[in-house]
Amino acid sequence: MSKFIYLTATPEALIASMLPPEAFGEYLSTGTKKRNKGQAIFFEVDLSQIEKLIDMDSLNKRCIAKPDGSPKNSVYLSIYKVLEMVPLSALKSLYLTTDNGYTLELKRTPYDLANENRNKLYLFQELCPVAPMVASGLTPSAFLKRLTDGSTPIAVPKLFFVDLKLGDLATNPMKGLVDYLPFANVVHLRDCLESLKGDYEKHMKTVQRVFSGSLLYRTIESGFYVGAKDEIIFYPYPSLTELEDINYEFFRSI
Amino acid sequence: MVSLPGATPFEVIAIWSVLVIAFFGLAYAMFLRRQVMACDKGTVKMQEVWDGIRIGANAYLKRQLKTIIPLIFIFTIILFLSVYVVPPTEESKLRFVGYSDESLKLIIGFGRAVAFIMGSLFSLMVGQFGMRMAVQANVRVASASRRSFGEALKIAYRAGTVTGMLTDGLGLLGGTLIFIIFGVASPDTLLGFGFGGTLLALFMRVGGGIYTKAADVGADLVGKVEAGLPEDDERNAAVIADLVGDNVGDCAGMAADIFESYEVTIVSTLILGVVLFTQTHELSWIIFPLLVRGIGVLSSIIGTYLVKGEKNAKSNNALKAINKGFYSSALISITAFGVLAYFYLGEWRSFLSVVVGILLAVVLDEITKHFTDGNYHPVKDIAKNSKTGSATLLLKGMSYGFEVAVWQTLVIAVTIFASIMIYNGQPIVYVLYGVAMTGIGMLTLTGNNVAMDAFGPIADNANGIGELSHLDKDARKIMDSLDATGNTTKAITKGVAIGSAVIAAVALFGSFITDVSKVQIQMGFEKTAQLIETGIRISVPMVFIGLLIGGTIPWLFSSLTINAVTRAAAEIVEEVRRQFRIPGVIERTVKPDYQRAVDICTISAQRELVPLALIAVLSPILIGSLLGVEALGGFLAGVILSGQLLAVFMAGAGGAWDNAKKTIEDGLYGGKGSEAHHAAVVGDTVGDPLKDTAGPALNPMIKVINLVSLLAAPVIIAYQKPGQSSVGMFITGAICLSIIIAAITFSKRGGFKKIPFEM
Repeated sequence: MSKFIYLTATPEALIASMLPPEAFGEYLSTGTKKRNKGQAIFFEVDLSQIEKLIDMDSLNKRCIAKPDGSPKNSVYLSIYKVLEMVPLSALKSLYLTTDNGYTLELKRTPYDLANENRNKLYLFQELCPVAPMVASGLTPSAFLKRLTDGSTPIAVPKLFFVDLKLGDLATNPMKGLVDYLPFANVVHLRDCLESLKGDYEKHMKTVQRVFSGSLLYRTIESGFYVGAKDEIIFYPYPSLTELEDINYEFFRSI
Repeated sequence: MVSLPGATPFEVIAIWSVLVIAFFGLAYAMFLRRQVMACDKGTVKMQEVWDGIRIGANAYLKRQLKTIIPLIFIFTIILFLSVYVVPPTEESKLRFVGYSDESLKLIIGFGRAVAFIMGSLFSLMVGQFGMRMAVQANVRVASASRRSFGEALKIAYRAGTVTGMLTDGLGLLGGTLIFIIFGVASPDTLLGFGFGGTLLALFMRVGGGIYTKAADVGADLVGKVEAGLPEDDERNAAVIADLVGDNVGDCAGMAADIFESYEVTIVSTLILGVVLFTQTHELSWIIFPLLVRGIGVLSSIIGTYLVKGEKNAKSNNALKAINKGFYSSALISITAFGVLAYFYLGEWRSFLSVVVGILLAVVLDEITKHFTDGNYHPVKDIAKNSKTGSATLLLKGMSYGFEVAVWQTLVIAVTIFASIMIYNGQPIVYVLYGVAMTGIGMLTLTGNNVAMDAFGPIADNANGIGELSHLDKDARKIMDSLDATGNTTKAITKGVAIGSAVIAAVALFGSFITDVSKVQIQMGFEKTAQLIETGIRISVPMVFIGLLIGGTIPWLFSSLTINAVTRAAAEIVEEVRRQFRIPGVIERTVKPDYQRAVDICTISAQRELVPLALIAVLSPILIGSLLGVEALGGFLAGVILSGQLLAVFMAGAGGAWDNAKKTIEDGLYGGKGSEAHHAAVVGDTVGDPLKDTAGPALNPMIKVINLVSLLAAPVIIAYQKPGQSSVGMFITGAICLSIIIAAITFSKRGGFKKIPFEM
């Protein structure tokens, strides 16, 4: 049986498994006796690019089929600074699993900076290594660069985050309609967004300090971003119509 | 030969025609069954899933029979012997001229017992055959969904129509047959028929309601909430029980409930019709309602056959197609009734009463829709209140639940007032007949109503089979659409079921007064002591006590029913948790033991309903024997009023909470996963056992209490002369009280105490 390496975002971990991505996602969300349940967001990692970073002997000894012949579900390789350690080039597809076990694959795509809209506000949910929800006047690439180039004290080596829907709030924070968006404290969100429209130089405002652990997939706007400084990898999220065709079970589940 | 003294040739032909129509309805049911059974059952995986449902359903039906048959036996003997306590009526002597008193008692006793068996068996057949048909249809609908929406809709609806036609055909057959054989002596035996149907309906409705909610809650609490599995996941041991439960509750239980209302309205109309015949010597009081029902069967056949989706359409509006069938039947019926009234009756009062009944069904439909449909203000308002949490959402739902109960009760009051206006200036028995005719009109389209209701679980099950056998997206979309429609039609028919139960109860209440008066006259009571003259005087303290106690019975029944669901669900939760711990189940390498969950649900449901049935049967005997027959009348009035309000409240609030949740899931106030959605889920969880178990359980309970009162009243009068006390009645009352207390204690036994599981 093949071995797969996965980088899970929340919580951050590097995990070896004999399960292919869809089965691994289902295992993470519903299949463990630990009674953990909830969604899973993880990358498949190219083992050949990280062989020097992990203890391959230990991996080969531990990641073997169970006595009854069934595949090994998970072998934890690391739980600290994983995203920092894994090169961006080693990240393959990104997988999103619902909390009842349906998995969607997102493929990495070249990111076209020319398509970025500089005339609106953004809402980003950071996922790894830190996980606040942040409103920003910066585009995704500028946001990534600001938080990873060391120019501010709150930098991280790499950042994985997702762009969330704001609807009318992106251009009209105080009066835009938001009934279809599930944000708990809309009044605070409006205030944060409105403050970014002023002359304030900060360009970012924390909306929510702590991530609940549950990302509502239907609130994803453009997709997921991971990178550092000027290097950015983009995983576009399909529209609902496309999603219905690509993965009906996932679509029904969200 | 038909015993119809003074019948015209038309009337003789009419009564035989009604019998032929009843058989025709049954033949049509068999015809539709053959059509459905000829359809394919899909892939091997689909049939594997279906097999589990079929085996589970058969296990439930078999177990149900084992519980019910001894009770049928006991009551048959009681009913046969009852004729030796209260002698046959004068009408029996008119019918069976030349027979000695002893022979007459044997004939009537035998007739009543056989009528009871017939009523029980017919009710059982409607529930059991209907459910078996639904189970046969679900996999065929799932298979047809892979091809077209039109084909899937046709199979689902025609399978539902089989149940509808069984309800129509058997209900009409029983009443007509009894009348053909017993003629003016029918009331003596009709009560047996009514009681048989009602008692079985109580078992199927209450037992079915407990089963379905226990399986649903148990499957969801552990499967979805604890383990995070999707709906209808094959790793959930209760998934098959959940799918079986859809049929048990919504198909068998509801069909038996509506059958019971259908035949009880025939029973009460014929009883009152015979009274009017003896006064006016006009058979039209009896023949017209039977003809109306016969026409209803025919128009239902036409209307249900018209329901089909567009050919080769991938998605469509199923509700439009179903409504087209319903309104076509209504139009045909009203036209035919008018023609019949014009040529046969020569006057319009009975026709108007029937039309009022049809209008009542439409108005109750609209009221239910207004308060429970997501397109209207109340549900939108409830959904809006989810923004401030579950408490405000629950309070809002309760508020609208209370309100819908008021409107529905007022509409019924207006209906009774309409009868007073139609029979203005006539003695009270005419008004009571008018109310009974309203019930006849209201349930004219029973074939369509039951088809609409039975369609729901078929579509639901098909969706479950599709989920478990991983059908493609297009088929799933079709089944989703049918399932959503089924939820709507189920909600609408629930409103009709409650309304018809109340009208049937009011009609029976009328029969109670006339029947009691007849026996009082026979026993030589003074006119001033006869119930038809005094009425039910709530100013009399004993009567008022009866009224108060009657008002509490639906509340007690609901409390015990909800407790029963909680207990049964707890057993399922423990079982599913246990099976999740079996190595391999979560990993899909080991299949769960679905049948064990089915067996637990089945045994729990049958066990829990026995104390409830005892309370329903014995409480009127208790009141009548200790407080007297007029107090029993007060008791009935209390049961009807309180039961109607509570049943509508539970159905209305439950339906509104359910649809508020769906509205939010469609995208309002943040949609799925939002705080508003969490609040709405709480509301839906609270409302589910109310609208699916406790609320519907009150329908047959009200009628069982009515019919037991009707059967017991002559005995009570015979042993309880005014101003005298009876030791025998006192002992009877004491025994009933002891059994009721034991039943309540048994039903209230606490918590999660495990009952030994037995096969």
